[in-house]
Amino acid sequence: MTTADLILQQLINGVSLGAMYALLALGFTLVYGILELINFSHFNIFMVGSFVALMTLDAFGLKGQTVVLTGLPLAGVLLVAFLVTMVATGVLGVGIERFLLRRVRHVKGPAAMITTIGVSYILLNVVLLTTGADAKNFPNPLPAVHYDIGGAVLRLREILIWIIAFVLMGGLSYFVNRTRLGKAMRATAQDPDAARMMGIEVDRVIMTAFFVGSALAGAGGLIFGLYYNFTSASVGFVAGLRAFTAAVLGGIGNVPGAMVGGLIIGLIEASGGQLIATAWTDVVIFSILVLVLVFRPSGLFGRMAPNKS
Amino acid sequence: MVTAALNALGRPFAGIAPERRKFITLVLLTVVMLAFPIVHDNDGDIDSMANAMSYATLALGLNIVVGFAGLLDLGYAAFFAIGAYYYGILTSFQVMPEWSSFWQPFAALGLVEKMNQGGPDLVHFTLSFWLALPTAALVAAFFGVLFGAPTLRLRGDYLAIVTLGFGEIVPIVARNKSDWTNGAAGLNGVQAPRLFGWSFGVDATPYYYVGFAMVVLLIFISIRLRDSRIGRAWMAIREDETAAAAMGVNLVRFKLLAFAIGAAFAGMTGVFFVAKLQTATPEMFGFPVSTMILVMVVFGGMGSVWGVVLGAAVLQLLQSWFLKDLTQWINAFGDLVGSAWLRQVDLVQSIELIFGIILVVMMLFRREGLIPAMAKAPPLNMAAQTANVQRGGFTGLERIGRWQPAGGNALEVKGVTVKFGGLVALNAVDLVVPDGGVVAVIGPNGSGKSTLFNVITGLVHSDGGSIRFHGAELLGLAPHEILEAGVARTFQNIRLFPNLTVLQNVMIGEHARLHAGPVASVLRLPGTRREEAGARAWALDIIGLFGNRLTPRIDQIVSGLSYANRRRVEIARAIATRPKILLLDEPTAGMNPAETLELAEQIKSLHELGLTILLIEHKLDVVTRLAQNVIVLDHGEKIAEGLPDDVRRDEAVLTAYLGRTAQAAHAGVANG
Amino acid sequence: MADLLLEFKDVNTFYGDMHALKNVNYTIERGEIVCLLGGNACGKSTTMKTIMGVVRPASGSVTFDGQVISNLATSERVRRGIAPVLEARRLFPRMTVYENLELGAYTQPRGPQFEQDLERVYALFPRVKERRDQLAGTLSGGEQQMVAIGRALMARPRLICMDEPSMGLSPLFVEQVFDIIQEINRQGTTIFMVEQNANMALSIAHRAYVLQTGEVVLSGTAAEMRENEMIKQAYLGEMQVEAA
Repeated sequence: MTTADLILQQLINGVSLGAMYALLALGFTLVYGILELINFSHFNIFMVGSFVALMTLDAFGLKGQTVVLTGLPLAGVLLVAFLVTMVATGVLGVGIERFLLRRVRHVKGPAAMITTIGVSYILLNVVLLTTGADAKNFPNPLPAVHYDIGGAVLRLREILIWIIAFVLMGGLSYFVNRTRLGKAMRATAQDPDAARMMGIEVDRVIMTAFFVGSALAGAGGLIFGLYYNFTSASVGFVAGLRAFTAAVLGGIGNVPGAMVGGLIIGLIEASGGQLIATAWTDVVIFSILVLVLVFRPSGLFGRMAPNKS
Repeated sequence: MVTAALNALGRPFAGIAPERRKFITLVLLTVVMLAFPIVHDNDGDIDSMANAMSYATLALGLNIVVGFAGLLDLGYAAFFAIGAYYYGILTSFQVMPEWSSFWQPFAALGLVEKMNQGGPDLVHFTLSFWLALPTAALVAAFFGVLFGAPTLRLRGDYLAIVTLGFGEIVPIVARNKSDWTNGAAGLNGVQAPRLFGWSFGVDATPYYYVGFAMVVLLIFISIRLRDSRIGRAWMAIREDETAAAAMGVNLVRFKLLAFAIGAAFAGMTGVFFVAKLQTATPEMFGFPVSTMILVMVVFGGMGSVWGVVLGAAVLQLLQSWFLKDLTQWINAFGDLVGSAWLRQVDLVQSIELIFGIILVVMMLFRREGLIPAMAKAPPLNMAAQTANVQRGGFTGLERIGRWQPAGGNALEVKGVTVKFGGLVALNAVDLVVPDGGVVAVIGPNGSGKSTLFNVITGLVHSDGGSIRFHGAELLGLAPHEILEAGVARTFQNIRLFPNLTVLQNVMIGEHARLHAGPVASVLRLPGTRREEAGARAWALDIIGLFGNRLTPRIDQIVSGLSYANRRRVEIARAIATRPKILLLDEPTAGMNPAETLELAEQIKSLHELGLTILLIEHKLDVVTRLAQNVIVLDHGEKIAEGLPDDVRRDEAVLTAYLGRTAQAAHAGVANG
Repeated sequence: MADLLLEFKDVNTFYGDMHALKNVNYTIERGEIVCLLGGNACGKSTTMKTIMGVVRPASGSVTFDGQVISNLATSERVRRGIAPVLEARRLFPRMTVYENLELGAYTQPRGPQFEQDLERVYALFPRVKERRDQLAGTLSGGEQQMVAIGRALMARPRLICMDEPSMGLSPLFVEQVFDIIQEINRQGTTIFMVEQNANMALSIAHRAYVLQTGEVVLSGTAAEMRENEMIKQAYLGEMQVEAA
């Protein structure tokens, strides 16, 4: 492989990872935009999503890397898997909001954030206790189709991930910018009191934000499984922190920013393995988080400065 | 039911004074704790207790950061790790540089030994446990400042995520720097502490006593700090950062101090923990540990010293005693009913699940924890509530002394401009307050009056101009420096520290005029003791200015006071800063005419004592009564200035305030 | 009183620990402009919040158009025809003027009626039409106030509650805004207005209430109010007298 090939390959990998982080970062950004709350439960909603996806694929008889589907069956199975996963995590997110977070929403101080930490811990440990801590083999039903671009390899998997991420993010953009409820959501993020006075049911908007954000995290969990061919109870923490960094990088509360931030983090991770030891990747990513927060707290494209009081 | 039973139990002791009761309880508790290893000769249980003690010290440390200063630190275990590896590396055989004469003096001090395992001479570190405890505290404190510094400007929730990142980085470094830490396998051969030549070994009892001593020491330090100038400053930051800064608290210094002291507690505990286990692995310091300590603090009660110790003890003992027993019972029950699932349930495994549930349940149903940090003061009795209002004011003033105006101008504002985005909030405003004078700023809502106060007190940045106070430039100074220079203020929307008492609020006002540092506060030497007593007396004198409005309520939480009383507390807090100039932002808003008149008289008497006052006020009768000069702002510009009576006749003022009808009416009357 | 549109009956509202409204009674008839006077922190904003359902009265009732609304959600009140013009305008700064107007019509069905309402707002404020694709946060204070009033009109309200419409506006704009308020009222919308600029408000209002530390201490027709010594004293009215 030449250097150019290597760069191209990392670019391909990085964009795929970035798509996953972006989907996860969007959930942080949607919820933060409205509630100014860092939702730690989001970390493990993503993880739960990867397990729901695993079980769904399992239900189709897909185990390990042995069963390969093509054509319509493949499309159908993937569609169902994405739908089931996204609805499941979406409902989980809404449940957390409705039954737990709503009760501490108006409490001053860290109560809401501590609640999300507790919820995150509960999700993690329920999965740990039911499935164990070891990594689970994630089915890969995709045929081994690939294109060689010079020395770099573009697999069907990557193309698929890109298409799915593109569709989901396009859908989200349409929802936020064009629909009535999406506009209500933006209005609520900008001024919740005024939004309420317009007759917007703020509770419903918040539930929608949790549903959409959690559903996207679920899709991210499925993509994680497809990309790495495994999942485990502990994947939520690291992926969540990286995605949070992506959201901050793009300016938290900023929807397109979260997408770009996710891509940047994905590219850093992909090239990080090459340029620096993989073991230090997280150190690099957290350092970026700290640097951005210290020197440009509103993010690269941000408008919501986090240190307003 | 429970309360009734407790009351019945407590009845025989009701005759004993509360202070004495507290003392007796403490003595009894100490005796029980000291006797425990002797009476209960079970090494496993003593070991569990020793572990509980190390968690208690961690919880005490995190309580300083989270409970006192309100800084949510999710990576607290990082400092625990730093202390642990500091001691572990300096007493094991992990790092062994080559011997050279450089090491000679250290050998003489007993910190290193020359060793030979074949090949060149090597250095073996032999740091004593007793020396490691205080030095680890210092090292961890250093890292506390290092990690804290870049995060201090961030809002609380961002601080949480950055500390979480740091908390992850430290174990990663420990895992990857395996030449120093032996990586994931963990440090081996960490020396047990020795005392007069006798090694602690693996017997739990000596660790129990060391742990107990540490808990006692750190409880003592926590309580001393809490009840001092330092503790008040932390709580002020926790309650309202902006108001804390405006009352003279140096935010950077006090946040870093909280980080450093919290980290120091963790560093010491790290030494203790590693000495006891005689190994250290990166897994011992990850996010789950940070979370567990947070759970202990939340469970016990954020900010409550006894609460967090209890929280740590209960959760650790739950883990090591109760869950084991409960598991056995459930398994036995499973045998009995023939349920395979019940037979193999292991509750100890689910401890983290239980932690998660505790966090959620506490946040939803009992946010103040097992032992709340702030005891609720009993409400006033009927007599006190319905007592005739005594105005105080003039009698109380005698004791607070006089200001000595030096003449000339106290405050000179020249050409000050403030922009928010495209909006010009203040446009080249000039104003002068003569020393010893009273100047009022009036203008419609939204005309820039509060922005003027904010720019003078350093809460917003100016886009040009100068603000001189007794000749010295204020622009560019931090809010606490401006307060130190003698500029104190109140806020239009009242920014008290809502969960603190009246007395605490007023005493925070004295922050900049007191000097006790952390060491003096812990030792409470006679000088510090005198300072505290003086501070309290001064606060009571100022509270006394408002007669019996506030004096009977000094131990009430301010958020429960009436609107008018909260305004009074805020003014008292500002006077407590010993200002040279007092900036009052609508002091009479929300008061009825009688209360307004009362306050106006009090302000007037402050002025008569020589205090310089700049006043924002809407009630023109108050302005007329007090002010010698009136500045009128509209749209961020000064549209008029002069004696109250002149300003009232000014065309521009009439238009700004009254619009065309008034002008028309005015013109009509004038013509007619 | 067939014409009664809004009524407060012995309303007590607590805001935090503060007893913000004490046994307050208001009656507002269809077609009126009623203004509420009082100093800062006297309960004016709490009145607005109580009408809109952001805070609920601890006791007493709020009746709109003959029906008790004290327990209805804010959205339902807007749907029934109460729209607010908020203090300091509170537009959605990072949305366009058009989107702000759309959100004003959030409770209304989308359709030809929406276009009709939009045309009405554009007719009333040609400036708003010019700026429709601009972000609301970039408008001047006066333009923002026009959008805020337009946004309220988009909800097809029978009652508009205005919280300090003159705040932060230059005198010229204040006059324009008050002209428009009168025009809207002439077109049939009842107006309940909190205002600091007592003289301006009384010049267009039919009746007024005066609040002091949460209590109604005075009420009457605007003309009576203008002659009232207490009003003159308390709300800068005396300036006018002394100036004369």
